Amino acid sequence: MVTDLTRRSFLKVVGGAGAAFVLGCYSAPASGLFKNSDKEAAQGFQPNAFIQIDPDGTVTVTVNKSDMGQGIRTTFAMIVAEEMDADWSKVKVAHAPPGGPAGGQGTGGSSSTRQMYGTLRQLGAGARAMLVAAAAKSWGVDAASCKCDTGKVMHPATGKSMSYGELTSKMAGVTAPDGDLKLKDKADFKILGKRTRRVDNKSVVTGTATFGIDVKLEGMLYAVVSRRPSFGASMGTVDDTATRKVPGVVDVVKISSGVAVVAQNTWAAMEGVRALKVTWDTGFNASVSTASIRAGLVEAAGTQPDLPAGVKAVKASIDFPYLAHATMEPMNAVADVRDDSCVIYSGTQSPDGAQRQTAQMLGLPAEKVTVHLTLLGGGFGRRSANDFVADAVQVSKAVKKPIKLVWTREDDMRNDHYRPMSYHSFQGAVDASGTPVAWNHVIINAGGRSGRGGPGRAGIPYAISGATQAGGAGPSPVPTGAWRSVEHSQIDVANECFIDEMAHAAGKDPLAFRVALARDERLKKVLTMAAEKAGWGTPLPKGHGRGIACFSGYGACIAHVMEVSVVGNEIKLHRMVAVVDPGLALNPQGVEAQVQGAAVDGMSTALKVGITIEKGGVVEGSWPDYPWMTMEEMPNQEVFVIDSGNDPSGMGEVGYPSGPPAIANAVFAATGKRVRKFPIKVSELV
Amino acid sequence: MATYQINVNGKQRTVEAVPDMPMLWVLRDLMGLTGAKFGCGIGACGACAILVDGKEVRSCSTPISDIGKGKVVTIEGLSTDGSHPLQKAFVEHDVPQCGYCQTGQIIAAAALLKAKPHPTDADIDEAMSGHICRCGTYTRIREAIKIASGAK
Repeated sequence: MVTDLTRRSFLKVVGGAGAAFVLGCYSAPASGLFKNSDKEAAQGFQPNAFIQIDPDGTVTVTVNKSDMGQGIRTTFAMIVAEEMDADWSKVKVAHAPPGGPAGGQGTGGSSSTRQMYGTLRQLGAGARAMLVAAAAKSWGVDAASCKCDTGKVMHPATGKSMSYGELTSKMAGVTAPDGDLKLKDKADFKILGKRTRRVDNKSVVTGTATFGIDVKLEGMLYAVVSRRPSFGASMGTVDDTATRKVPGVVDVVKISSGVAVVAQNTWAAMEGVRALKVTWDTGFNASVSTASIRAGLVEAAGTQPDLPAGVKAVKASIDFPYLAHATMEPMNAVADVRDDSCVIYSGTQSPDGAQRQTAQMLGLPAEKVTVHLTLLGGGFGRRSANDFVADAVQVSKAVKKPIKLVWTREDDMRNDHYRPMSYHSFQGAVDASGTPVAWNHVIINAGGRSGRGGPGRAGIPYAISGATQAGGAGPSPVPTGAWRSVEHSQIDVANECFIDEMAHAAGKDPLAFRVALARDERLKKVLTMAAEKAGWGTPLPKGHGRGIACFSGYGACIAHVMEVSVVGNEIKLHRMVAVVDPGLALNPQGVEAQVQGAAVDGMSTALKVGITIEKGGVVEGSWPDYPWMTMEEMPNQEVFVIDSGNDPSGMGEVGYPSGPPAIANAVFAATGKRVRKFPIKVSELV
Repeated sequence: MATYQINVNGKQRTVEAVPDMPMLWVLRDLMGLTGAKFGCGIGACGACAILVDGKEVRSCSTPISDIGKGKVVTIEGLSTDGSHPLQKAFVEHDVPQCGYCQTGQIIAAAALLKAKPHPTDADIDEAMSGHICRCGTYTRIREAIKIASGAK
């Protein structure tokens, strides 16, 4: 597998294919999917191409989704290569340009594979059919008597064979197949379902992989922004006297997010920001704090209804904090605004959104804005907003030079679109036999998700008669957005804590209680297997506890068992077992990586991090205040991937929601005390 | 502004910079070596790690004026073709997710293996715990270090 995302390789793909044979196609329509574009190839222009075959046999798969670590570039290439019978060692990956017919590029909600699996298979199968047709015609044999393997068409009866590379010169007159093609049987897969390494590994480990922050254009200047101290603050006076004396500072310009210092290098821009004197009016948000926002949430939650007589009531509340995405690569973008056009380089989860937004800002037609997608140094939902692109565009427009605009870590942590803070009120009941007879979950989000309050799509996966879930939003000036697993990061986490309390009230084992109530056989299976792998029920050292939790969503089912110890005020993680059923695991190694990684998010947010609001702004600024899990804190991770035979699921979000409740339930098993607030502190257990 | 002669990846380089400019920006903005990454600017995440005389240094908080005659090695100088045993192990064991922290992780692991060719788990914890991986690749990083050290 040879691939790297350099500008050169990108331009090679979008700019000209020379004599290469190109299969142009559209992702969205189910019919008329293929467009034979021999002519376009001769012209070297292919805005809508997904597959390109070079005379040397290289197959380039164009991926229309952003890769932020979830490995979608690898997965998509595998899907196409499988149906093409391509030689995997000759497959390369390119990003699709925005605004072309490759379809929507927004990447999020663990939707990429579910959205594109069928389409990509058809595209690969179509390419294969055309190659077979060309070979059969050249040999004067029936296409049905040919077969393909590892980048070659073969005719077993005569022993003839021709490589896909050779066939690129024999495609004249070959037309694209009509309608849906017969796809391979899963049993015949040679690439899909096999543990496959990421296509970008080599460029990453040699430091040649290109992230947005690594892009450099001719004549480019660097910018850093002095930002408001709190949400909704308005700018007062700006004194840039000292800033303009900083060596390397070129200009100071006001933009919508603050005051940008433009310089000959990033350090000079940062020094310029430090020397800047800006006054801000915090306005009516000055009194807003975590406590004041929480008071509004609790008030909005109201009171739970009365329960019927004779049942055993279970009541609980759970608090979640705001969470920052804190991607390793802080937000940044490169923009080159000209009078009649604009070029952008950025790692964004929404390249076409960046294009639309920029066109609107500059009053240009969308086709005059080119967005080159780079690798993303983490996304988790943060890079679905393109505010960093807007910053760079404004500065470039003002100074008429290409600009690389970089957010500092503190800018990034204090100007996020946060996973909302939320307050959860639960009331449940069990009858004398231990059967749950009531469940009511009230969810109040601060400001809602992306402007929406309420419970979203999440619900309980258990058969509890009369179970209800309601929600709303409490007032908050803090901007919110999607964060890994979105509303599931609150609702399902809370549910899995409360179902544990219900089991306890019923006097039942938390595993058996869940399995008995779970509506989905797949969920029962992952629960049972996770428990078995973790030695559920076997004795543990004193002070240790084991907790279980599960999640069903994005087409997948998963269960976690976590083992913790609680000594004094310290909660230590000892072991994690996860069993995931992603349907067909297209790349089991990638599935395992996502579950390992999402669990680290689960551990960090269960035990360590949360965003605090004071005086209308964010207190935490960098890693010392927002201390993510480190190597020495890591428990042993055991991940098992099982195949239920279902269609492939999304994977980016799946590994998060059952991690934190498994930890909370383990803390209960170790201490006999319940978690009412995340991140978990021993002193706050009840 | 001052003129500095520094040794980077085995070559003498001349660069003009203010004395307090951190090596991270010297490398990235002045020399075009973007393998060391900006993560926090306060030496708290390790994405910017480089080697100076074989020891790991946080380039984001090391001014160029402190380098002197030190031999600087960045990820680009560890090998040009990915042939360093750690680079090979990280590729083979499929460690990277987003990839952004990985060059810093590899540099830290290289310093570790130079000092301790056969590190224990505790050695790995000590050397690597200042390196945040926001994608959570820790389990695979640990395994890759063991593979590179011949322990696995």
